[in-house]
Amino acid sequence: MAERADPVAPARTGWPLLPVLRRMAAMPLKDPFAFAGVLIYLLFALVALFADQLAPIDPMEILFTKAGKLAANVPPGAEFPLGTTNLGRDIYAQLVYGTRSALAVGLSAAVIVATVGTIVGLLAGYFGGTTDAVLMRIADMALSLPFLPFVIVLTGFLGASTSNIVLAVAVLLWPSSARVIRSQVLTLRERAYVEAARVTGASAWRILFVHIAPNILPLSFVYAAIAIGWAIITEASVSFLGFGDSTSVSWGMMLQDAFTSQALSRGQYAWFVPPGICIILVVVAGFFISRGYEEVFMPRLRGR
Amino acid sequence: MILEVDNLQIHYSTRDGVARAVDGASFAVPEGRIVGLVGESGCGKTTAVRAIMGVLAENGRQAGGRVVFKGQAMDEATTRRLRWRDIAYVPQSAMSSLDPVYTVGSQLIEVLTKRGGFSRAAARARSVELFDLVGLNERRLADYPHQFSGGMRQRAAIAIALALEPSLLLADEPVTALDVIVQRQILDVLRSLQQRLKVSMVLVTHDISVVAYLCDEVVVMYAGQVVESGPVREVLARPRHPYTMGLRNAFPDLLSDALELVPIGGSPPDLREPLSGCRFVPRCPFAQPACSLDTAMSGNGAHQSACRRDSEADTLRTAALDPRTWQRSSSFAMS
Amino acid sequence: MRLVLERFTHNALALLAVTTLLFFMFRLMPGTPLAAFINENLNADQQQAMLEQFGLDKPMWQQYFIYLANLLQGEMGLSFFQRRSVMTILLEVLPNSVILTLTSLIIAYIFGVLAGAWLAWKRGSWIERVAVPAVLATRAAPEFWIGMVLLALLSFNAGWFPSGGASSPGQAYDSNWERIFSLDYLHHLALPVLTLALYLQGLPLLLMRSNMLEVMHEEFVTMARMKGLSEWRIVIGHAARNALLPVVTAFALGVGLSMGGNVVIETVFSWPGIGRLLVQAVSVHDYPLAQGAFLMIALVLALMNFVADLLYMVLDPRVSHGRKG
Repeated sequence: MAERADPVAPARTGWPLLPVLRRMAAMPLKDPFAFAGVLIYLLFALVALFADQLAPIDPMEILFTKAGKLAANVPPGAEFPLGTTNLGRDIYAQLVYGTRSALAVGLSAAVIVATVGTIVGLLAGYFGGTTDAVLMRIADMALSLPFLPFVIVLTGFLGASTSNIVLAVAVLLWPSSARVIRSQVLTLRERAYVEAARVTGASAWRILFVHIAPNILPLSFVYAAIAIGWAIITEASVSFLGFGDSTSVSWGMMLQDAFTSQALSRGQYAWFVPPGICIILVVVAGFFISRGYEEVFMPRLRGR
Repeated sequence: MILEVDNLQIHYSTRDGVARAVDGASFAVPEGRIVGLVGESGCGKTTAVRAIMGVLAENGRQAGGRVVFKGQAMDEATTRRLRWRDIAYVPQSAMSSLDPVYTVGSQLIEVLTKRGGFSRAAARARSVELFDLVGLNERRLADYPHQFSGGMRQRAAIAIALALEPSLLLADEPVTALDVIVQRQILDVLRSLQQRLKVSMVLVTHDISVVAYLCDEVVVMYAGQVVESGPVREVLARPRHPYTMGLRNAFPDLLSDALELVPIGGSPPDLREPLSGCRFVPRCPFAQPACSLDTAMSGNGAHQSACRRDSEADTLRTAALDPRTWQRSSSFAMS
Repeated sequence: MRLVLERFTHNALALLAVTTLLFFMFRLMPGTPLAAFINENLNADQQQAMLEQFGLDKPMWQQYFIYLANLLQGEMGLSFFQRRSVMTILLEVLPNSVILTLTSLIIAYIFGVLAGAWLAWKRGSWIERVAVPAVLATRAAPEFWIGMVLLALLSFNAGWFPSGGASSPGQAYDSNWERIFSLDYLHHLALPVLTLALYLQGLPLLLMRSNMLEVMHEEFVTMARMKGLSEWRIVIGHAARNALLPVVTAFALGVGLSMGGNVVIETVFSWPGIGRLLVQAVSVHDYPLAQGAFLMIALVLALMNFVADLLYMVLDPRVSHGRKG
């Protein structure tokens, strides 16, 4: 098995957290794809923040033409950059406001997955024994649940709300990150500097959070970035199937709307293509960033 | 001479510049003899041998010098033709050099049928012969690499290397990964094979005791260059290059006098830096200003040394036996 | 072998956990405890039959074991809206899902393996720099969106393919086999398979590529080169053979995962499979049918996980042949 370099050399004094954070912040500067990913995230974050300024129309408002008729299926033009839905709603406004929902879902799922996965991985890996066995059994169970069907059943019966979706996604995604983090903790546990800390009497919690956790951080970010993408796609899929939150505008809801109102047969590409493109961009950004952190964590030896 | 390496230069392009892994190394292998190629890790011995086989990494290339085998210059086409058929390789770690998903027997048969033109039946018969030659039970042909012990794997690797009856065998640290007792067994296998088959060998190692046990000639390498060469008994009993003298001290069991381990202070130079003159200067207790200018091999007959102070070799050798000589060497490096 | 038994029990227990979870989830539905299996849609006789079958008047823990016993016999109750046995309905639509999944996966994996190996060959070239992000983009797009775009372009716009369903109206066949291999069926299968294959190929492609890159640096590949073997033998016989191991396992896992993920594809193309059935059942709160569809998907997942474990054991000699000497 190849020896992996720890992101931080054995710390003799002080908390290795700051050097790790510095390296993680510097990563996008070295990896052009990760840099692009960060830019995409920033772009969408700005859009979400300034949605009101970018699209002053209420995305759910039913609009009428000057003649008083319903402004349904208006083709893209000066007044409506992407046209309108069959119920007279501004597609462009929906796209812009959909950013908020996407980021909210993505980020909350990512935070939960990263936190739970990291904590479980740390505990299971470091303490081993019964803790490890119990936690890993639970992780296994979560992995044998069919992902999308479970989310559907949950939202279908417990009610369609964004928080339910986020919860379902988080419950199903944390095991994979926990597993990998656990195996990394197992390796780190045997490192000389951990042994040294133990010998000098440091408590288990101190070792865990001062020595081991900072080295795990890039890995947590890898899975957080992946989780963002997964959560957004899942939310979109669930909304598409009709189990989404009907009160908020999301890209998934746009796609469902387009599908059920026969936008496909009408060739209304301006309606259903842009939301898909946005999803692709955000998810791909997550992939690039997670690949970047994977490099930080497990540098591939190039040009030996 | 079955093999002549003449001023070989192998360069690796790395992110931080060109590393001159082998920088003007020359040595020769007499027919039917075992030549030990010895030096610490990074001295270029493995690179030189792999260059002879023509399997450098993607960023490596032969930047100068030439390799002559049986009087023929080894260009790419010749290398490819002679590979395994006349020049074979025994790897350091047989575990990683054998494909884990095929049985050892099938890998042996593969070489015989694809490179040797054997029919499958003939190949199978020859495999049994080869295993017998290295002392392995023929039943083992049906086993996978991971089912072999370390020593058995090395024997299998030797069997595969000898499959096509090569004239030259390049053994790259063949016993380094084994424990001492098994080491001795494998070395004995190599010796008996060499005597029976009259195969010439180059044995790459960092362990002088292996060289002493098995080799007829020895070539000492340091920082990509050859610093001393000659008959083994001669070189080890009366070394003429300070590096060899230091190496000898690091293996006290060979000597009757020195009873303590005397390491050579410092470490080998960075091969990416342009270097001139003798590379050993920073660590050499006998270095003089002129040594940094240039070096050349000199000596009488078979025993050659690259040290400028070769004429004073006997005096230096006596001084080298004193551990205090080596403690002082770092002070010159500072100045 | 002990290992086989261990993996079997592991997967079986996981499945048991899932069914138990489902049991309690459905019991927590709003309504009476009977609501999981009885609905006013069913006639009085049917309701009584269900009551007895599942012991709905008995205490919860007893119901649990009756539930499990019934499951093992394939008894999952009656669909509220179709008023037929859930099992019968499931078995009718299962072949459609299986065919969709297997066909798409096989195409995706064959393409992915070949393209991945080829990309590994093209290491460092501009093709690689462009191709890898492009493939990542296919993994980033929601499957159903790809389906929607293809549907709009190739069906509604170009008219090359039907817009949904598994058969055109008015078709009659003598047997199921005849139906499956009929041109009409295949014509309907084409777009869903194309969509799924497009989405799925990313995984085997990237996996094969990264495996090949790793394996090509292994010592035994260099040794093969030193032996003077042909490039073909080295790349295909040695490198690819080793690189394929994880891909084959991934295929088996992919079957299990796809059965669940196909939900959206089946909806876009109105493909009559288990996924679409699940969605419909959940929408109308047809609990027995929803439960049955979910369990069937979970069963396939657990089964394929087990198959993947077996494959890994069989294909890697290091696992199947223990250590000796």
